[in-house]
Amino acid sequence: MSATFYEAGYEHHVEVIHQRDGEARRRLDSLEVMLYDEGGALLGAPRVDPAQDVLDLGALVRATTSATERVMVVFDARYAESIFPYRPHHYAYLHRAGSPAAPLYYAINAVLGGVPDRVGATNINNFETYVFRRGPFAQRYSLLLGCLAHFVPVQAQVFTYYGSRRVAQEITLEPKCHAEVALAAEHEGEPLARVEVKALFRLLSYVVGRRADTGDLVLFDHLFTYAK
Amino acid sequence: MLLCYCTMLTVGELRAACRSGRWPLPGKENTGKLCTACVGDLLYCLRRFGVDASC
Repeated sequence: MSATFYEAGYEHHVEVIHQRDGEARRRLDSLEVMLYDEGGALLGAPRVDPAQDVLDLGALVRATTSATERVMVVFDARYAESIFPYRPHHYAYLHRAGSPAAPLYYAINAVLGGVPDRVGATNINNFETYVFRRGPFAQRYSLLLGCLAHFVPVQAQVFTYYGSRRVAQEITLEPKCHAEVALAAEHEGEPLARVEVKALFRLLSYVVGRRADTGDLVLFDHLFTYAK
Repeated sequence: MLLCYCTMLTVGELRAACRSGRWPLPGKENTGKLCTACVGDLLYCLRRFGVDASC
């Protein structure tokens, strides 16, 4: 089960199956899409064709809900293990309509089921980090976090690093809730260098950067597990 | 309802296994240990189904 966030005003297209083999494009057995608001309320579950290559999230969200706030979009993809050697990856294209900012292309975050048992992986993936590079223009940074649990809330700690200083924030997300956690670009004169998320259980997580002047997204990426 | 997408364990299977004293089911031993996203739900369900989840 993978998920991302949709914000109004953006072209946001999801390539449902990124992998292809030499003979044919692979297909999902089924694909369910669910939309949740920040408080965890289900906004809708639009029917989608699992054979469709690219989903237009803007059209999907607008056809399902009149909500204009950020929406968590959850993809529940089922597939034949005999066809896919690994869980199919979804990739996405993101660009604010009319913006001079470059388009963004990112891998959609796998949350539940990101490590199929047959693969045999043993790395933990609920400790994540991201190292920032200095952008060519002022940016506002934040984390977008979402909870895909069914029954219980998830606690997380967010640590930001500025030179030798560390700033901690704590957050608790109820099932299907999501939040944007602002990250100060500077602290005591030092620029933001790194962010870590330590969650009790794996959360949906993206690090985002927005242009300070226009608010356009210039960074939208998943974090990286650092405990190998 | 699928509880663990890594081992494909459903809540119904977990409930039945707990009630018959057969948890962990063969092939489902890694539930909660892989992507970790379902650990909270797994512990919650085990407690609800009367299994000591502390060990």
